[in-house]
Amino acid sequence: MALPPKRALQFLRWFCREDYLEEVEGDLIEVFEKQHEQSPSKARKKFFWGVARHFRPEFMKALKIGQNSNSVIMTRHNLLLTYRNYRRNKVTFLINVLGLSTGLACSMLIYLWVMDELKMDKFHADDDRIFQVLEIFDEPIGLRVNETTSGQMALSLVEEMPEVEYATTVLTPVENITLSIPDKNLKANGQYVSKDYFNIFSYPVIEGHKDNIWSKSRSMMVSEDLALKLFGTTKDIIGESVAFNQEESYHISGVYKIPSSQSSFQFDFALSFEEFAPDQEWALSWGSTPAHAFVKLRSGADVHAFNEKIADYVQIKREKEKRFRTPFLAKYSDRYLYGKYENGAQSGGRISYVRLFSVIAIFILLIACINFMNLSTARATRKMKEVGIKKANGASRWSLIYQYLSESTIMTMLSLLVAVAIVWILLPQYNEITGKHLTLSLDLNLLTSVLIIVLLTGLLSGSYPALYLSGFNPLTMLKGKLVRATGETWARKGLVIFQFVMSIILITAVVVVYQQIEFVQNKRLGFEKENIIVFNREGITEKEDQLETFLLELKKLPGVVNASSTSHKLSGHSWGVYGFNWEGKDLDDNTHFELVAVYHDMLEILEMQMVEGRAFSRSFSTETSKAIFNQTAIEHMRLKDPIGKNITFWGKEYEIVGVARDFNFESLHTEVKPSMILLKPEYTDQFMVKIKPGKEQETINGIADFYAQYNPGFSLDYRFLDAEYQSQYVAEQRVASLSQYFAGLAILISCLGLFGLATFTAERRFKEIGIRKILGAGTFRIIYLLTSDITKMVLVAILIALPISYFVLHLWLTGFAFRVDLQWWSFAGTGLLAICIAWFTVSLQTSRAAQVNPVDCLKNE
Amino acid sequence: MKAPSLGEFEELVLLIVASQHDSAYGVSILEGLEKQLNKKVNISAIHVALKRMEEKGFVKSRFGGITSDRGGRRKKFYVITAFGKQALDLQYDVRTELYKQIPKISFN
Repeated sequence: MALPPKRALQFLRWFCREDYLEEVEGDLIEVFEKQHEQSPSKARKKFFWGVARHFRPEFMKALKIGQNSNSVIMTRHNLLLTYRNYRRNKVTFLINVLGLSTGLACSMLIYLWVMDELKMDKFHADDDRIFQVLEIFDEPIGLRVNETTSGQMALSLVEEMPEVEYATTVLTPVENITLSIPDKNLKANGQYVSKDYFNIFSYPVIEGHKDNIWSKSRSMMVSEDLALKLFGTTKDIIGESVAFNQEESYHISGVYKIPSSQSSFQFDFALSFEEFAPDQEWALSWGSTPAHAFVKLRSGADVHAFNEKIADYVQIKREKEKRFRTPFLAKYSDRYLYGKYENGAQSGGRISYVRLFSVIAIFILLIACINFMNLSTARATRKMKEVGIKKANGASRWSLIYQYLSESTIMTMLSLLVAVAIVWILLPQYNEITGKHLTLSLDLNLLTSVLIIVLLTGLLSGSYPALYLSGFNPLTMLKGKLVRATGETWARKGLVIFQFVMSIILITAVVVVYQQIEFVQNKRLGFEKENIIVFNREGITEKEDQLETFLLELKKLPGVVNASSTSHKLSGHSWGVYGFNWEGKDLDDNTHFELVAVYHDMLEILEMQMVEGRAFSRSFSTETSKAIFNQTAIEHMRLKDPIGKNITFWGKEYEIVGVARDFNFESLHTEVKPSMILLKPEYTDQFMVKIKPGKEQETINGIADFYAQYNPGFSLDYRFLDAEYQSQYVAEQRVASLSQYFAGLAILISCLGLFGLATFTAERRFKEIGIRKILGAGTFRIIYLLTSDITKMVLVAILIALPISYFVLHLWLTGFAFRVDLQWWSFAGTGLLAICIAWFTVSLQTSRAAQVNPVDCLKNE
Repeated sequence: MKAPSLGEFEELVLLIVASQHDSAYGVSILEGLEKQLNKKVNISAIHVALKRMEEKGFVKSRFGGITSDRGGRRKKFYVITAFGKQALDLQYDVRTELYKQIPKISFN
């Protein structure tokens, strides 16, 4: 006899209610047996289907898990009690849930941010084998790490070193290039890359084939974004030709995709370095360092050994005796977080912000959890009678423990749900502040860690009533004669103090960070950056004979004060040179000087001041062989009476005509660099135009119209110099605004806790207040009574917090070359603020308690 | 109290239960239905209909004796109740009454 499928039968027996089971099973089996004679497989299928069709409410067993079991009834009872408890104490309940959930939400937001930072650039395949070649420059002022190297570096490394699998040279930036197709033109930023670029970096090539991207001459790879902007599609655009700055044209050989949120490198197009380099002497010379070099080592290659091997590489190539440039490999994906070097050694970078925020997250989480525990334990003492009665009625200790633990975990779980909702709501704004594309995804790490934290908080805060109260003798409890352990009060006070210590540290940090950023933004840089617009020198204006005409025309426009051209963007390092000679130079001195090539009027536009000598002037004819240095440079060269002295640079003599007051074009993290200003219109690649304040937009529109007409095929793409300069502080500004929010939240959560605690003390001392009032105590006396405890705690917190915050902030400020002094009053102010906030919070509660009619306190016993 | 409703499928099942008087059980009803309707019916649909009608009081049921067939499971036999017959009659009357009211229509 054929047997029906066992699994299906088991399933049926599992879910089907017993009074129906026999009939259903019998019928199904009978149908199965009949069918089985014709087609066994069909019968089996049908049997399964039949069972599945029976899986519906009418046939299921009633959910009767432990319907009559004691534990279920008790759980239900406990839940009911919890619910009633919360309903009776709505304020405490709200404070508790709100405090914990904001804390959790904060930490989750920070966690998302931190995870995103840590993931940056790590998406490339074989991430652990991709390195960047950096160079250490041995300069008299110390070792300096240079991000760029020679254009030859990558090419010869891959040829000569067996450890290197692929290497590529990247030449950046090719910025603000006008790309055009017949009826469209737009600006884009790109880079020159040598052939193995896409073998090292795994930006997915979505159109074209990775192996023959560069097989034809004048090829161009474009990003998906650019392709969409230019053609509206990424399909069938291979072979399309694109004009580059209205001159040369390239044809598209492929389309790649940059995962924008995970890659710190963004570029719109890539051109072939091999094609570009031969025409440019500097691009392949070992003497200059214009290029980035990236290598992918073979698996198993030892980086340290390799670094030792290439230490002399540049020296050998340049046939010099003394080692001045020492190349070494640094992991590519580390450059985002560990991009800062000091005196040749790695010294942090963005990782410090990641750490800072992780610490803040932990702080806030701790504050919130402590708060929660504090409030629940404080409230738990009121449950004494409840515990007493339960015990008198025969409740076992275990059932009490179970009850209180489940009560507090339910509460924390609820807070978690609220927290997730908060995160979900705030995420768009948060992304705006952080400049990221974070999403609330189901991250297993996040999920487990949050769950563990929440459970732990719940268990810890529930453990006090669960373990402590449940152990007492019911008789003493019912009499209400429980001696309060001093340890308990101490623990609670300690927790409050700890909370306030952390809040105060956060607040002082915010104050000082804010001061520093203000300072940085208002510091005189040595040049004037307001009301200056910058745009590229391109198209027709690149011709040497057109420069003067263009500037003259430009100056005639209404609203334009002055205009000139320069090679230096004045927001960050641009062009460093070394190897020129002056009187009394130490021959081993290879210090980089910043080269600022300008045209006439530039120094006037920037309002640079001359401490000695003069600026360039049209009234002299040989100005192109004159040079101006800044104070730092003159100091470095140890020149006395520099005016009139000669220097030689790239084989040409220059006469020093002026010394400019020091100016700082880099972010104030760094010291002023020695700089040399030359009148070299042929090197200048951007225009700076000073415009009248007040009518900026009109003036700019005028310039744009004029530009479009003067320089056909190009459109004006301008930036404001001050905004460009500020963009060097994006990281700081983000940190500042974020830390403001978080510090605010931290203090808010602490205050919630304090408020709850004050409510609790006032309630507990209700009778005491009544008696005191009857005996003649005034309102203020009572407020003092209730406030003094808390004041003491906050004072202790201040005493602990201020030295810590001083130390931490001092450390942070050493990262800036120019910094505010730490003022005593910013610390004193924070302390005062903390006390005021604490008093205010507490007074909400105490003033009410102090004004109570003593009759109300005493009539019930 | 409103009389419980009798759905179309339920009506069919009830008719078969009535026609197979005292020997109607799941599979026999299934076979009867499949023969009459000339299409495949799933046994679960019949069980659902029977249970519902039993609740409404149209049918009542009893277990048969144990046999070695059907894996040793007993059959459950269904019989129509007076109330069920009444519901059927009512349904039948309504239908015939309505049917009679159709005027002579020629379809050509």
